[in-house]
Amino acid sequence: MSEMVTKRRSTHPMKIVALLIVVTCLTLFPFVVTNRFYISLVNEMLIYGLLAMSLDVLLGYTGLLSFMHNAYLGLGAYVVGLFLIHVAPSSLWLALLAGVVVTSVIALPVGWVQVRTGGLAFALLTLAFGMMFYTIVWKWYSLTGGDDGLMGVPHPDIQVLGITLGSSGNPTTMYLLSLCIVFICFLLTWRIIHSPFGAVLEAIRENEERASFVGINVRRYKLYGWMYACMLAGVSGGLFILYRGYIGPTTMSAFAGAGVLMMVLVGGMGSLWGPIVGAGIFIFMQDYISTMTEHWELFVGLVVIMLVLFLPRGFIGLGDYLTRFRKE
Amino acid sequence: MTTILSTKSLHKHFGGVLAVNDVNAEFKARQLRSIIGPNGAGKTTFINVITGKLPASSGAVVFQEQDVTNRPAHVLVRLGICRTFQITSIFMGLSVFENVRIAAQTEIGGSLRVFSAREGLKNVNTKTWEILHRLELKDKADVPSNNLAHGDQRLLEVAMALAGDPKILFLDEPTAGMSPAETEHIAQLIKGLTDTIAVVLVEHDMDVVMRISDEITVLDQGRIIAEGSPRTIQDNELVKEAYLGHG
Amino acid sequence: MSFTAIAVDIILNSLVLGGVLLIVAIGLNIIYGLSRVMNLAHGSLYALGAYAGFTLVASGLNYFAALLVAPLLIAVVGLIIERVIIVPVRKRSIVYTLILTYGLMFFLDGLIKYFWGNEPRFIELPQFMRQTLPIAGTHYPVFRLVTLLTTAVAMIGLMLFLGKTKLGIILRAASSIPEMVSCMGINMTFVHAGAFALGCVLAGIAGVISGPLYTIDPIMGHEMLISSFVVIVIGGLGSLRGAVLAAFLIGLVQTLAEFFVTDLAMVIVYMMMALILAFMPRGLLGEGRFE
Repeated sequence: MSEMVTKRRSTHPMKIVALLIVVTCLTLFPFVVTNRFYISLVNEMLIYGLLAMSLDVLLGYTGLLSFMHNAYLGLGAYVVGLFLIHVAPSSLWLALLAGVVVTSVIALPVGWVQVRTGGLAFALLTLAFGMMFYTIVWKWYSLTGGDDGLMGVPHPDIQVLGITLGSSGNPTTMYLLSLCIVFICFLLTWRIIHSPFGAVLEAIRENEERASFVGINVRRYKLYGWMYACMLAGVSGGLFILYRGYIGPTTMSAFAGAGVLMMVLVGGMGSLWGPIVGAGIFIFMQDYISTMTEHWELFVGLVVIMLVLFLPRGFIGLGDYLTRFRKE
Repeated sequence: MTTILSTKSLHKHFGGVLAVNDVNAEFKARQLRSIIGPNGAGKTTFINVITGKLPASSGAVVFQEQDVTNRPAHVLVRLGICRTFQITSIFMGLSVFENVRIAAQTEIGGSLRVFSAREGLKNVNTKTWEILHRLELKDKADVPSNNLAHGDQRLLEVAMALAGDPKILFLDEPTAGMSPAETEHIAQLIKGLTDTIAVVLVEHDMDVVMRISDEITVLDQGRIIAEGSPRTIQDNELVKEAYLGHG
Repeated sequence: MSFTAIAVDIILNSLVLGGVLLIVAIGLNIIYGLSRVMNLAHGSLYALGAYAGFTLVASGLNYFAALLVAPLLIAVVGLIIERVIIVPVRKRSIVYTLILTYGLMFFLDGLIKYFWGNEPRFIELPQFMRQTLPIAGTHYPVFRLVTLLTTAVAMIGLMLFLGKTKLGIILRAASSIPEMVSCMGINMTFVHAGAFALGCVLAGIAGVISGPLYTIDPIMGHEMLISSFVVIVIGGLGSLRGAVLAAFLIGLVQTLAEFFVTDLAMVIVYMMMALILAFMPRGLLGEGRFE
């Protein structure tokens, strides 16, 4: 019976050590580099890293392409911002919670419609709904500020167990809050991806028809995957508005959506940390190149084309996903 | 022997074409029934309608005295109606073990446990190893299934179907593309399955069909034209005509 | 304005809008139907057509000559795109072609901004097209009528091409049974390239005729892309008859919605698309098909 004992795919200890080193470095970063600009830059990388990771749960693990995942970052951000402005200017946790809940409530009917389809139709639906949210946010001037964006979002204090840790308006404090939440979300997602539930998502990615013929309710599990990805996007939106204090409709545009897709591609689909690294590279390049040239779009387009043609596995996730999406 | 699944005047048409025409069939427990017929006779369409891949145009499918017509595939699988496909359908990017494990996990439960490791489901693992052992795929457990030889991929698909604990198993041309030795292996295996469950075999290899079937149903142009033991089918004039007559 | 005048205005406007939508959408539809590539850069090719028309007219060419030349230029661009970047991913999953053409869309938009800048452009029209024509109590601009006429000519031309010429018949056959056509010894490479070029010609025509209708700016292609998705989704992917019906339907809905509630026009259109995709995936006429 010895062969009947499952080989537990235990995580390599070096991986845990590496993760701890990275997190330690990131924690020390704002104390070593005290330049506010760089702290904010890395903060943005973390927030978009969370968004890219949540898109990867859909794209790399469930095999569903969402063109406008940034729409759900946007929704989360607007809700948190509006909550802080109109409801309770000092309740940070309540605002974040409201952001996640409202984003999920919006994502649920959208997902319910979307999961009836797959492949091309699913991708087109994400575009239709994404554009719809974008248009609503852009045109609903009285609520969202329209083109001008949502301004004057207060910076509440960050309180844990009644102890005030500092203001979210302080770049360092805000950075540490983001790091903490992104880290928790990363661990949570890692856990979920490697759970029996994650195995179901992978089965759907590999072969939808077979999945339903081993007894999986494909639509339902796609919906669960979708809801989780949108919740994470909502969290990233909450952090986004707290860190920026401002959001405009361009954050929800199709162009920004392509950016998020590119982060996942650069990092490599199907590995959780790949997209986070991809987000880092992307934000850095965006910042660097947009100061040098105004033709950022040209560059984004070219990189996406090159990645698909020559490096479909991304820079980082050079692992095992060669076989994914090769249904033909 | 008790009837486990039956169809009542089942119809399926595509536009004006009747692919399944008024079929009344009965499948009995622990029996191997083969469905044969010339190309385009509607064999695959027939089992596609039963197993929930295609909706029936009219008629009913009754499973253990329960009307299961047009239920979604995943519900039928959970009830115990499992199948394999004519064109191999497995999770290409996953290992052999994981392919079977997923099927076992769906059957046993635990798919919603988001906070535990997928390797930690004990019953699921035991069952997976048991099936891999039975089908002699154990040594290949860690091989990515897209690297398997064609014959092993077909076998893996049978393994996945078995992991769903079927009460009735539909096999759509399981020997397609297999070598004689592999065919012999899988034929023995199929015959062995009928110790516990009902098996329905759609097959072109007449040698295999005649050797292992308990009963044979012959379809032609969507209708049953003959039913009976292999011997009576071999002597049936209608069957000969269907195969040779309008060829 | 009297009620009839308003009604005539709305009907004509929706016909004009529907016509432009139809030409773009049919191009997209032909490319998908023949080569299973959903070209997300199609809207940008349409915008490129408008800019080409603008530059040709600005450099002294007659408007109608530009209407002939610009689409051919776009076809050449399309052929280059098809050969260089679409061909390598043709065998891969649709997810890759979608991402690739999405990247292409931004690349083309970037090119447009690089060459023409961000500021809106206007195509200089011949004198007679700037007049208005009194119809049923309203003064309807002549250039809109010319647009309508051009749409009709383009559609009739397309129908004749697909119905009467050998090339067209091959293309139609390839769209319904690709295996058969490749068995008959017709080179599928040629069919794929031909489809892409034909789609681009149509995008180019639409670009030039919508130059006077809307302002030409780098993002004009985005809205058009989404609208033409809506058209082919509602009409059914790959269905030409469905596209005609859907284009004029969307033209009418959009015109009406713009007339009554301005800002929500597009939201309504997106909702329609989503509901049809999810609940009637074969389109209104039930003729379309997804892979």
